[in-house]
Amino acid sequence: MKFNPKLLFLALIVAGVSLGGRAAGLAENFTQTTTLAVFAGVIATTLFFWERRVAAAFIGVSILVATHAMTLHTILKATELDIIFFLVGMMIVVGVLKDLGFLTWVIQSIINRRNMTGASFTAILCVLSAVLASVVDEVSSIVVVLALVFQVCDTLKLRPHPFVLIAVMATNIGSSATMLGNPVGIFIGNKAGLTFSQFLVGATPVAAVSLMVTLALAIVWFRKDIRSMTLAMARHRRMGLGPVLQIPYKTGLCILLVTVSVIAFHHQIEHMLALGGEENKNAFLIMTPLIMAGVLMIWRPHRARHYVEKDVEWWTLLFFMLLFAIAGSLNEQGITRNLANSLTSHVTGGPTGMIPFVLVIASLGSAFVDNIVFVAAFTPVIQSLVERAGEYSVLWWALLFGACFGGNITVVGSTANIVASGLLEKHGHHPVRFGTWIRLGAIVGGTTALVAWAMLVLLPTPRPAAAGGPGTGAETVAPAGADMPSLNE
Amino acid sequence: MKQKNDLRLTAYFDVGDILPHCGELERDEIVRKLVTDIYKSGRVPPNGIDETVAAVLSRESEGSTVIMDGLAVPHARIEGLAGPRMAVATSERGVVWPGEDSPVHVVFLLLIPRDKPALYLQILRALTSALKDDATLRVVASMTNAGDIHRFFESGKAYLPRYITAADIMSRDFLTLKDTDTLQTCVDTFIRHQVGEVAVLDRDGDLKGVVRAGELLRVCLPEYLLWMNDLTPIANFEPFAQVLENERRTWLSEILVKDFPVAEPDTPAVQVAGEMTRYKSSKCYVREGGKLVGIVRLPKFLNKIFRE
Repeated sequence: MKFNPKLLFLALIVAGVSLGGRAAGLAENFTQTTTLAVFAGVIATTLFFWERRVAAAFIGVSILVATHAMTLHTILKATELDIIFFLVGMMIVVGVLKDLGFLTWVIQSIINRRNMTGASFTAILCVLSAVLASVVDEVSSIVVVLALVFQVCDTLKLRPHPFVLIAVMATNIGSSATMLGNPVGIFIGNKAGLTFSQFLVGATPVAAVSLMVTLALAIVWFRKDIRSMTLAMARHRRMGLGPVLQIPYKTGLCILLVTVSVIAFHHQIEHMLALGGEENKNAFLIMTPLIMAGVLMIWRPHRARHYVEKDVEWWTLLFFMLLFAIAGSLNEQGITRNLANSLTSHVTGGPTGMIPFVLVIASLGSAFVDNIVFVAAFTPVIQSLVERAGEYSVLWWALLFGACFGGNITVVGSTANIVASGLLEKHGHHPVRFGTWIRLGAIVGGTTALVAWAMLVLLPTPRPAAAGGPGTGAETVAPAGADMPSLNE
Repeated sequence: MKQKNDLRLTAYFDVGDILPHCGELERDEIVRKLVTDIYKSGRVPPNGIDETVAAVLSRESEGSTVIMDGLAVPHARIEGLAGPRMAVATSERGVVWPGEDSPVHVVFLLLIPRDKPALYLQILRALTSALKDDATLRVVASMTNAGDIHRFFESGKAYLPRYITAADIMSRDFLTLKDTDTLQTCVDTFIRHQVGEVAVLDRDGDLKGVVRAGELLRVCLPEYLLWMNDLTPIANFEPFAQVLENERRTWLSEILVKDFPVAEPDTPAVQVAGEMTRYKSSKCYVREGGKLVGIVRLPKFLNKIFRE
């Protein structure tokens, strides 16, 4: 059998992280070192052997149990089933929206537009990608938006690559705007104890400004392609961009609005139902997609099985569960506490000083590893810091924006990027080259990270309600580092 | 790639299996005589003579086995046969072959083991290489001595190829369209000839791609419309209306599929099968120097390998 050099890299990473962790004092005994090695091994597998990530996670979890790093009970507790349920429910709701023609209507309503230019199409594409990603998930959003891009570019005989890149980058940015957009969002929101509306207040303005900056960058970067599109649209005006159809959309729109509205008011509903305390944290936020999915499947029983079997990404969710469990083992073994100690002793400036540090680390990490992997790894560290002082909660936002915006840097930076590359190939185009992607990705990723840094430092950010149940604690809004002295000071 | 084998045709028949100048005999009599000769030579098929003759004539009744002017290859696949067996008959005046306008001058009777699907095609190729034209065939037919005939095949180019190629199994008759043709011409061709796929050539006659009825449907029904479970909003074929409106202005180059199974004439047949499987296609286009020279069609391919 031919030797795969990636195996050597994987082994080097595992050995480097384990020995480095030991030397840095993160792992002090055999169990901690094994935990660190398992974690590094699973992350490196997602980097080098993407298709084998679930297999690696299975083996990783088994090693953790066998070496007493975790028990079966703690593994099950760490799988974050609440988040998995939320994602299952949302995937079913999105499946129903697709089935009812709502997403077709979204595309059709743009194709039906007359007098578009390359610039206006780019602006619409950016906004649509971001908005759609913020209310359905980023993967569903990119599939819909790229269907639009392919329809328009195939009709106009244009290269779709620039518009695919624009759509993907806007999708990654838009996915950070709400808890619904990205598994990272619901994971961080839930871990931080943020309500939907708190998340919205903290994330949407940053995402909106970043989107505008990205749109401006894209218009400059792809000015030639946008000009070509304008000319092609003018030539094609009489024939249109596709079949002009009237697609019924009201039912789908109602379902989406009801789902988002109930989620938006989950905090108030929890209060009404007296669902308080740590055990019921964000209970209605998690349950709403399940309730909606249940109602929709009762309404459409003949399609229910299709929704559950085809629209839910079980493979991905299984990976998430195992990954969360493996990341949980870092916390269980006290490795994240050691890392938090190390960070607070090395990074000066308190929470404000740590914002750029977390942003950069999360951006670079997410550029090469799936962002949920990175967030799952980093979350226990931030939890440890927040337990010491509430002001560190601003780092949740830095982690969110770093993970989502950093996903734009490379072609493997987020699931949306990988799906987009696959769709390009499926439509008979060569995928965007790594170098082409990284040139624009680094500029967009870097610029948007700067925007996030500035806004996190200058504007107040919501903090989770104090423990004791919804509505009982003050929902503090404070500018970053205003100004609790850092642990160093 | 080395295509030549060291195995000659004469490995499968001896001088005793050759019947020169079979004179006034008719087809069925020649078949029986040749089968009987094979039995006499000792390497006997497990079936009886009558059964073997019936198998050869049964295959003959399904379609003529005349593979080129003056050359017939009556054959049968026999269960349990240890190796191929051949016998040869010649007639300078020619034998009347049912279903054929011209007389047959050389008859190769061929019995092949059922579990050697490619052997028949390999032997056919060796035969057509050895008897490459009418003049050579006539020379063989005029030989009066079995030994001379055997020597001819012993010293000539009658080697079995190592494997059968795309050229052995392709059809040379096919429909084509030009990339400057319109969608209207394409639709008309699909309907008139009841086909679902046609090769498209450019101005220089080079193969540019194929148009498929399925692809045409995809143009009419973009993927995002098929996300809907209920297609009643387009029940009156509204998306087709626009395509219809533009069919005279849409060039085939716009809906061309450029990713399709392709082979060279000397590509091994098994690789052709692999290409068709990979592309989930029932056709593989054979081109030489950019020009389309033939098409391997799955039904014919299966027939050649499993039945013929």
